[in-house]
This record gives sequence, C-alpha cells and structure tokens, in this order.
Amino acid sequence: MPSVCFYFEVHQPVRLSRFSVFNIGGVQDPYNSYFDHKKNRAIFEKVASKCYIPTNKLLLDLINKYDGRFRVSFSLTGTFVEYCELFMPWVLESFQDLFDTGAVDLIEETYFHSLSSLYDDLDEFEDQVKMHRDMIYRIFHYKPKVFRNTEAIFDNRIAKKVSDMGYKGIITEGADKILDWRSPNYLYKPVNIDIKVLMRNYMLSDDVGFRFSARGWSGYPLTSDKYAKWMADSPGDVINLFMDYETFGEHQWADTGIFEFLEHLPGEVLKYDNLDFVTVSEAVNRYDVKGEIDVPWAISWADADRDVSTWLGNNMQISCFNELKDIGRILREKKDEELLYVWRLLQTSDHLYYMSTKGFEDGAVHAYFSPYEVPYDAFINYMNILQDLKQRAMHR
Amino acid sequence: MRIAMLGWEYPPFKVGGLGTHCYGLTRSLADKNVEIDFYMPRVKDRPVSDKKNLRIIEVGDAVLFPYDRPDSKELSGQFYDKVYKYNELLFKCVNGKYDLIHCHDWLTMKAAVRLKEKLGCPLVVTVHSTEYDRAGWLYPNQWFIDIEREGMEKADRIIAVSNFTKKVIVEKYGINPDKVEVIYNAVDPIGEGEKKNLVLFLGRLTLQKGPEFFLKTAKKVLEHEDTRFVIAGSGDMLPRLINQAIELGIANKVIFTGSLSDEEVRHIYKIASIYVMPSVSEPFGITALEACSAGTPTIVSKSSGVSEVFKNCFKVDFWDTDEMANKIISLLRYDPLRTTMSKYSLKEINLFTWDRVADKTLEVYSKIMR
Repeated sequence: MPSVCFYFEVHQPVRLSRFSVFNIGGVQDPYNSYFDHKKNRAIFEKVASKCYIPTNKLLLDLINKYDGRFRVSFSLTGTFVEYCELFMPWVLESFQDLFDTGAVDLIEETYFHSLSSLYDDLDEFEDQVKMHRDMIYRIFHYKPKVFRNTEAIFDNRIAKKVSDMGYKGIITEGADKILDWRSPNYLYKPVNIDIKVLMRNYMLSDDVGFRFSARGWSGYPLTSDKYAKWMADSPGDVINLFMDYETFGEHQWADTGIFEFLEHLPGEVLKYDNLDFVTVSEAVNRYDVKGEIDVPWAISWADADRDVSTWLGNNMQISCFNELKDIGRILREKKDEELLYVWRLLQTSDHLYYMSTKGFEDGAVHAYFSPYEVPYDAFINYMNILQDLKQRAMHR
Repeated sequence: MRIAMLGWEYPPFKVGGLGTHCYGLTRSLADKNVEIDFYMPRVKDRPVSDKKNLRIIEVGDAVLFPYDRPDSKELSGQFYDKVYKYNELLFKCVNGKYDLIHCHDWLTMKAAVRLKEKLGCPLVVTVHSTEYDRAGWLYPNQWFIDIEREGMEKADRIIAVSNFTKKVIVEKYGINPDKVEVIYNAVDPIGEGEKKNLVLFLGRLTLQKGPEFFLKTAKKVLEHEDTRFVIAGSGDMLPRLINQAIELGIANKVIFTGSLSDEEVRHIYKIASIYVMPSVSEPFGITALEACSAGTPTIVSKSSGVSEVFKNCFKVDFWDTDEMANKIISLLRYDPLRTTMSKYSLKEINLFTWDRVADKTLEVYSKIMR
C-alpha cells in the first residue's frame, strides 16, 4: 500500500540591500550594509502571518484530530530559524509544538540553503551541514536521519558524501531523465553507495504547489477527495509530496481554498484502507530499495530542466559563483569568523536564482519570486557586493 | 481589403519612429494581401514600392519637414501652414472606394476626420506620440491637443503603441479605453558588430528625449571608468548640450555627431558598447529595439513603452543619473553582464516582427469593417 509522505521546505533567504558600484570600498559594516534587514523583516512577518502561523496551527489541529495518523516532515533552513529567533520566536515554538506530537520529522540540509555541494571541495558543504545539525539539535534535541540538499540538488558525489556523514536517506527529484519508465513511488539507491533515495513525485506535488489555482488546468478545481483518489489509485510504496511550505497561504493565497484543501485531506486519505501517512524517516525504515539510479550530473527539482541551470545557467551566474568560491578560499584560510558568516549568507542559492535568464514559462515563476526587475539588476547588486567583500577579505 | 493610409514620412525620408513604423507595417500588410494606398507629402528622395499591393502616392509639393515643431517662431509658422495645406490636399486627392482610412498622429488627423465623412468608411488612428510627450510634459500646446482629441474622438478604433500611451489617451484626452488597442512596435534587425568602447545616445535633441540626463550620467561614469560618450542626432538643444559638456569638464570625452544617415545609424548601433535612452516621455522607443537588435546592451527610461514589453534591458527613472551611472559602470566592468544581456536581447528581439504588428493591425481592421 502506498504511504503518503508529505515534506515541506521552510526557507527565507537574507535579501540584499541595493548596493551600487559607488558603494564598493566605501561601507563600514558589511553585515549591515549588504543586507536589507528592514525589508527582510517585513517580508518574513508577512509570510509568517499568511503561511507559517496559520498552517502550523492547522497542522497541529489535524495531527491531534487524527491522533497522530496524519504525519508530515519539515526542513528548516538556518536563515529561516535566525529570522524566527530575531523577530518572532513564537513561530519557532509552534514548530517545536508540532515536533513534540511525535508525528513530525525533521530533515537535514545545509544551514544556508547553499550550492556548496557543487564546489570543487566538499569541506564547506560538510561545515554547513554540521551547522544545521547543531542548530536542529539545539532547538529540537534531535538528529535528523534523512538529508535533503538545496532544491533537491543531487548527484552520485553528493549521495556518497551524505552517506559518509551518516544519513540513512536522501531526497531528490523523481526526474524522468533518471527514472525513465520507472515510478518515483519506490525507494532507489545510487549506483555508488548504500543510501536510500526518496524520489519526489513531481506530478502530484506540483498539482498542489503550482497548479492548485490554475483555472486552465484539467484538474481544476482540486479537491481533497479527488486528490486522495488519485493517490489511492497510484501504484508503489511511497508517494513523495515535497513542496515549499509557502505554498500554503503565500504562493497559493488563502482565497484559493488551499487551507480548506489541506484541512480535509487527511480525512479523505485515511478513508482508503490502502493509504496511510509516513514521515521521511519512517519511509526509509519501512521500505526497501527497488532499483538503482545513476546520476553523474547534478539534478534538482527546479524548472522544467530539472538540473542546476536555474542557478548556473548563464555567464553572469557562473562568474558570480566562481567569484564566491574564490573569496571563500581566502576567508577559510584566514578563519575570519565575521566575514565567513557574511560570505555564507551570500551563498544562499536564491541570490543566483534571481539572475536566471530562463525564458517565458519558467521565467514567469522566477519573476514572481525575485525582488529585482530584471536578472541583470540582480547581477549588478550581487557582484558589487562580492567585489566589496573581496577587497575586504584581501586586506584583513 | 483596400486601405487608404495617410502618412507624413516614409523611408528614405524619415526623422522618427513614425516613418519606420509606416514602412514596416505597409510592407507586411501588403504581404498579407491587403491593398494599400499610402499617401504622403512630395519629398526630394522619392520613396518607391517594390510591392504590387502597395502604392505610394505623393500629394502636393510640400518640402522636407521635421516631425516635431521647429523652435523658431518664423519657421514654425511656415510649418503649420504646410501641414494645413497638406491636409487640404489630402482631403481633395483621396477618392474612390476604400474599406477604411488609417492615419498616424496629429499631422494628418484633420484630413482623416473629414475623409471619413466624405468616403463614408471607418477610421483607424495610430497614436505614436501625443502633444504631452513631445512637449516633455512642459507647456503642451492646446492647438495640437485639440486636433488630437478630435481625431481620437472620431476614430472608430485607436491603436496606441504602448499602454503608456493608451493611458495618456484615456486620461488626458478622455477617450473610452475599450476603443484603444495596444500594438507594440517592431524592428528590422540590424545585426551584431565589433564593439568599441563607447556609450551611445541617439535621438532628436529635445527635452522629450532627455539628453541632458545622459550628460550628467556621463560625468559620473567618467569619474570611475574611461569611455567615450556619443550623442547622435540634432535638435534645438544642441548648443545647450555642448555648453553643458564643457561646463561639466567632459567635452573631450563627448562626441556630437549631428544628424546621421541610415547607414551611419546602423553602423553606430553596431559598434556601441551600451545604448542609453533616457527619455522623459517615450510612447514606445523603437531605437531601443534597434540597439538591442545590434547586440548592444540597452538602458531605457521607465517612462517608455518599450520598458513595458522588452525584458532583456535595464529600466531606470530618467532623472536617476546615479542609477544610470551604476549600470553603465557595471556594464563596462563586468564582461559576463554585457555578453549575457547581448545574447538574450538578440534572442528576444526575434519576437518583435513587423509581421506580428501587421497581424495585430488586421485584427483591429476586421473588428470595424462593415
């Protein structure tokens, strides 16, 4: 019987201030001049009131109502947790309340939601995973068993590193180019290492994440009974529904009916004898792998291409990425904690995502999430900041 | 379908976007089996048509005129006189059976309104710019506004070159928005050239085009990067701009070319590293598309039609010279920015074809054909 495995990504980047070429070499305090704390706080508070607070409350009610048979998993990025601790500690407490029900699992990732898994060496990646591990332990007294890399970026090398760090499972995209004819509703293992891979069912996940309010879609309007039936009719062991947590109330506004959908979903799913809910750890413990996957080139869950071209698809992105790595080499050597922290905030993948020039269909999604008018503005701002940081790094 | 189109300029004689538009539109319409009689004043370099469906009919003996009013009182008196005579001649000369009349801007609106009565067929008016744009929103002339309003009121359908212009038509001229369709302009691609280290302004040197903001920006850029600034075009602000460059102490870095031939314009787009269009009020801004089609990264004013629709360019407030300088310096410093913008703007430019403009225009025609 297929188990339904809900997993939500909870993330907010630390967005940049406007930083022109005239600011390079002319600011005192990098942390306060690079990042727009006022705007970040405003966005965080808005998303918290539209999504985090109401959705957490609903999930807690649902878990209690169904006596723990409704189960979900979360991954919280370090930048998200810092926002909570700075501005709204009670939001973090509501996640603790959810975790304390025993029906909620937590997933590991890089603290800064970075692309460090794509660097030439994986030392920075390992540091950021450990930072995340320490943070989760500090807040929840728990050590996650399952890892999900930034935007589900995955290849054989990353799988091996994550396995070496002791994780039992890893999440990635059920990309057609990897699975071909095979179903995402089973566990797989990479060719090079023993770790269980959970493959995101992108059809069913995106039905909620992207298409929920799309009037032109044949599935519209999506009701919980219809959705539960689709899952009941699906073959396989586990249906991995992985999406941004902000889907609830932020990407899909409350007036689309997304909260009503969520409210009724557990009941509709549990009507079927062949369906139940599992957390990611439970999925990994309960089911065996059904095949191997070979991923020499990185895949992800982003855009139609399902690769890393969303962040590294044009020359602007690649040049920033290289600059970022160069600065890191200097800073890691000098062990300058203050600048290392600033550098790590700049590694958050969103900064490169805003520079994507991918056309039209995907481009529309980018525009919605970007604080910049055009990707070229994102480049100038980010590159100017990198230039300032580089000068600083070299002169310390 | 047979159309009488009333024009003012047509290549090789043209001074603005109107001539470029009429050329691209009439030729693409002709390819779609529309019969067009294009009326225009007699000029020295006689335009010729190589299309069977497209006849270019010269009316009267008008001499070359600017698109905009001349700045001296004496000249402008003559100019208005000629416009008046041309409209009278059009009214007399345009005869026969047409499915509709299509005119462009205020210059032929008087004749168009009367011809609509005389021939008893519907009227389409394309608005490429309004008096408010041409005056840079300072002291617009009521005489032009009245002509424009009458033409817009009598028209069965109005084509605006942008939402920016549609808004002016609705808000300033009180026209029902349902009657106004937006059709963006297009470009015949110029093609890439070998880039030189120069930043280009190209357009009439009038308040509307914002050349003084270009010079202020140049001053700020030159404090950080070495490059040359080219101001191509002529107009009543030229002496003032030369003085401004001297006062700013950048005269040795600024080149004033005066008016350029079509060939020279194409060349300068090809070799420019960056194109800047800091217009105060630009209904569309075909020059931005032309620059992009030459692979030249482009910065456009937010007060322009092209900024609504073209994605792969920078958009700035025309008065924000700090931000314009920030963008120019970044473009000069960061090669990947220049190459990426160039690559994607060349790709996007393929969407802006006259064929598309002709299709959209035909849709407008079909809505009002009797």
